[in-house]
Amino acid sequence: MKQYRAHLLVCAGTGCVSSGSFKLKEALEKEIAKRRLQDEVQVIATGCNGFCERGPIVMVQPDGIFYQLLKVEDVPRLVEEHLLKGRPVKKLMYVPPAEDKPVPKMKDIEFFKHQRLIVLRNRGRIDPEKIDEYIAFDGYEALGKALAKMTPEAILAEITASGLRGRGGAGFPTGKKWAACAVQKRSPKYIICNGDEGDPGAFMDRSVLEADPHAVLEGMIIGARAIGAAKGFVYIRHEYPLAIKRIEIAIRQAREYGLLGTDILGTGFDFDLEIVQGAGAFVSGEETALIASIEGQIAMPRQRPPFPASKGIWGCPTVNNNVETWATVPNIIRRGATWFSSLGTDTSKGTKIFSLVGKINNTGLVEVPMGISLREIVYGIGGGIPAGRAFKAVQIGGPSGGCIPAKLLDLPVDYESLTAAGAMMGSGGMIVMDDKTCMVDLAKYFLNFLRDESCGKCVSCREGTQRMYEIVSKITEGQGTMEDIALLEELAVAVKDASLCGLGQTAANPVLSTLRYFRPEYEKHVVERRCPAMVCKEIVSAPCQYICPIDQEASSYIGLIAQKKYAEAFQVIRKDNPLPSVCGRVCSRPCESVCRAGEIGEPIAIRALKRYVLDWAREKGLDAPARLPVTRPEKVAIVGAGPSGLAAGYELIKKGFAVRIFESLPVAGGMLRVTIPDHRLPKERLQDDLDYLVSCGLNIKTNMTLGKDFSLDDLFQQGYKAVYLATGAHKPLEMGVPGEEAEGVLQALEYLKDHHLGIPVSLGARVAVIGGGNSAVDAARVAFRDKRVKEATILYRRTRREMPAYPEEIEAGLEEGVRIEYLTAPVRIRTQDGRVVGVECIRMKLGEKDASGRARPVPIPGSEFQVPADTLILAISERAYTPYLKESDGLTLSPEWGTIIVDPVSMTTTRPGVFAGGDVVSGPSSVVEAMAAGKAAARSIEAYLEGRPFVRVNEVTRPACYVEPVKLTEEEAQNMKRSKMPHLPRGKRRSGHDEIELGFTKELALKEARRCLRCELETRDAKKALGRET
Amino acid sequence: MAEHKKLRIQDLAKIREKTKSLMTIREGQGRARVTVHMGTCGIAAGARDIMDALLNEIGKAKVQDVIVTTSGCAGLCNKEPMATVELKDQPPVKYGDLTPAKMRKIFAEHVLGGRMVKEYVLAVGSETMY
Repeated sequence: MKQYRAHLLVCAGTGCVSSGSFKLKEALEKEIAKRRLQDEVQVIATGCNGFCERGPIVMVQPDGIFYQLLKVEDVPRLVEEHLLKGRPVKKLMYVPPAEDKPVPKMKDIEFFKHQRLIVLRNRGRIDPEKIDEYIAFDGYEALGKALAKMTPEAILAEITASGLRGRGGAGFPTGKKWAACAVQKRSPKYIICNGDEGDPGAFMDRSVLEADPHAVLEGMIIGARAIGAAKGFVYIRHEYPLAIKRIEIAIRQAREYGLLGTDILGTGFDFDLEIVQGAGAFVSGEETALIASIEGQIAMPRQRPPFPASKGIWGCPTVNNNVETWATVPNIIRRGATWFSSLGTDTSKGTKIFSLVGKINNTGLVEVPMGISLREIVYGIGGGIPAGRAFKAVQIGGPSGGCIPAKLLDLPVDYESLTAAGAMMGSGGMIVMDDKTCMVDLAKYFLNFLRDESCGKCVSCREGTQRMYEIVSKITEGQGTMEDIALLEELAVAVKDASLCGLGQTAANPVLSTLRYFRPEYEKHVVERRCPAMVCKEIVSAPCQYICPIDQEASSYIGLIAQKKYAEAFQVIRKDNPLPSVCGRVCSRPCESVCRAGEIGEPIAIRALKRYVLDWAREKGLDAPARLPVTRPEKVAIVGAGPSGLAAGYELIKKGFAVRIFESLPVAGGMLRVTIPDHRLPKERLQDDLDYLVSCGLNIKTNMTLGKDFSLDDLFQQGYKAVYLATGAHKPLEMGVPGEEAEGVLQALEYLKDHHLGIPVSLGARVAVIGGGNSAVDAARVAFRDKRVKEATILYRRTRREMPAYPEEIEAGLEEGVRIEYLTAPVRIRTQDGRVVGVECIRMKLGEKDASGRARPVPIPGSEFQVPADTLILAISERAYTPYLKESDGLTLSPEWGTIIVDPVSMTTTRPGVFAGGDVVSGPSSVVEAMAAGKAAARSIEAYLEGRPFVRVNEVTRPACYVEPVKLTEEEAQNMKRSKMPHLPRGKRRSGHDEIELGFTKELALKEARRCLRCELETRDAKKALGRET
Repeated sequence: MAEHKKLRIQDLAKIREKTKSLMTIREGQGRARVTVHMGTCGIAAGARDIMDALLNEIGKAKVQDVIVTTSGCAGLCNKEPMATVELKDQPPVKYGDLTPAKMRKIFAEHVLGGRMVKEYVLAVGSETMY
């Protein structure tokens, strides 16, 4: 028959026909005949392939080249160039759009290309229910060789020489086990295939049994020959119905072909198999328990020695091997021990199948040579962690194994290395975990599994797993003690030493292994009652409240909004937040970033809901502050009326102290007032919060600058017993670029402060801003609202993804017409007559990650370009600055950061009675963190004034009271979409400084509140409070 | 239907040759071979529906020369349901994340039309058998 070297597929769908594809086909055939290519190139008419707009279409196979919009006139050139000369005609080709990547080949795909298939060699290419297909790929060839050309001793020698070790978990040398049984004189002898596969996360045995059952059978027949057995059992757990079905069919077909039964392949060898199903126990994977199960008894292990090799089923010599081990055997016999032992390491030969599951991009079964590193498996084959999260650990070997942390990722995978690291090869289950996995919770999970599966025979296992589980549970509930951890370790040793079988002997591994590498995580649960991964429900309760620095009970007030109880919602917000109108507009919302609704859909708009309540309360005139009485004699001074000072002040007056805040600027509020633009936080709203505090009795004196109008010593002389310094971090960082001192070069914070204080600032028509944080975006948007400014461009050295400014602010800025140049760094500022005229910039590209975890930008040499500018605003970063402190004040500063050094718990400085917090201690941070520092400082000051040490009390997170959840409709329960915040129409934004976000309407707020998952109702305390105990 | 006679060693070689030729696409033997992967992972992900869709399309198109077969798990479980399409003289193409609708499109465009559906393709070629 003809063997064409190319096919021309001419599309003959309706679209192409109407464009003339039949004429084209005729022309092609004529030209091909003319060039005498008719025996090499065939022209075929095909159906429509969907690309109608580009017809007539001709596809050349096997080249896979697509010609489009062809005309009869193109034919001679096409045939001559492409078919004769082998040069595809680019001009006639379809050029896919830029994003179109070439189709990958199997050998290029990371998941597949690193694998070496031996046991899985037939995967995906044979029908497991057709024995002929197994034979087609060299199936049963090894059996023929073993029966006809080898003695049992030769088979034994080959298996021993190969170095094959049991793949079920223990890794015992297979040849040795077989030899120990072969040497037994007694008969009958039995062999067993252990298909009980009980490790959570392991499914390689199931896959082999389902996809290539004959490989197992062939291995067993060969093994039976070597050992001298005439009967075998395939023990499969009954939870694997498909595997059982496929093995049954395979056995039947093998029998039909005489590959099982009497006189196999005419060699006189007899052997047959029986399937035994497991009864649902994990322990029956242990060989003596398995044997008991086959015998019809309860699956419980027994003493060894005697080993099954001498006394197994019904007291007869028995070899038990794992599915994977048996399936390896035919390959060794067929290709030789030397071939097999050329793969792997010195002690661990061949390949191993791992089931790669968990937080990994490519889940599945991987067969790799022993000795490959974990890093290659996780990042190469596995494709790394989804959503760009950080790798935390990988659990290997199931409940008997242990975890391997990131620092050991370069460990080679072989029996000895893994055991030395405290893990175990086991059956090959590899569960990858990211930073959202709690290692204590993981230990609890495995202990729960083991105590359930413990057969109960040994006290140490039966009681030990139960007690270890109880202790670890306690720790996950925030009720553990350091003694508990010590007890856990003691118990672990006892359980290991006194248990009869592998289950008990390894039951402590999950605990010991997680303690070995993640002890600090256990201690955090015990001492701080915190779960860093935010998994342990009894500790975390609702993640929003858990993470909030000021402990706002978000899910409670959201639950009240859902019930339309706005006044009560307002009280819940107020009780912990002295600046709620501010927070409802500008908080950095750590709560939303950990919201559980955000894991499956969009996070709840917590900040917007808070604002809704505040706006509602304001309209109703609900905020009726009562002047708080002064009940204590001590006076406290606070320096700085920013969020930290205000929060501290409020806490202190609630406690009954007399407080005065000294503020250097003519207005209170700190950066809330003079940095954050009105279009994000209107002055009036900040004033609402300030008025409330003042009405409660908080005394604020403006235009008082520490170091100028008064000193620290003055405060103490005036009778203040304690001072809280909360002066913030607003000294701009210099760029270190020539020309910075020129006229027209402004610092963002100073520009914004002058603007907000009504001090006139000179701005040119073209404004350039250097930086990528909120200050940069704020400065650009405020400047662009100025009538004089025609152009505002932000120059940022990385890409949009790395910009630290809030994404919605960047988005709004772009909508307003602010331009952003990414991957742009300033080289020097160009000046003329001492005035700025532009910035010389250089293009950057992203390189390696730096200490902050962001990719370091590196300049592209020779890519300099000019950005003209009449005004240049620098918004790189800020740092703390304390020019008001003299050495004689007795405080200590960090030489690197300029921040005030304090004791992290009590917040005291090196001068007794002087405390500090907020940005002046932490460096630039957020409003809510500053407020949290203020609240903590107040408690510490109280302790100090009462003459007692300040001890931080660590408690699990709980709301003050539990709000009944609303009943949702089916439709509501499915709603994952977040209510959209209404915005000022675009046309109105730049013309003034009005607030951009208009706030939720009642309907939007209600809809959003009803979306909340009410995570705090999951704890036992909550269930009890609501009368829903289970 | 398989023969039910007991095999001798030389019979194995004969069966191998015969079956291998049936399994590969050669002249006049069939235009394509489609393997739907049906391990437990595939079935759990919906491979039976994929198979149904494929068989339906073959019935509707009335083609006689498309070989449909199954196999076990292909290894990359999170891409199930998967199917491999092998056209005459071409390397096999693996598709992943299939739905019945995608299978129908693949049948029309790739199996019948000869052009692989790029956006559904996982990879082209076979795994390395060591």
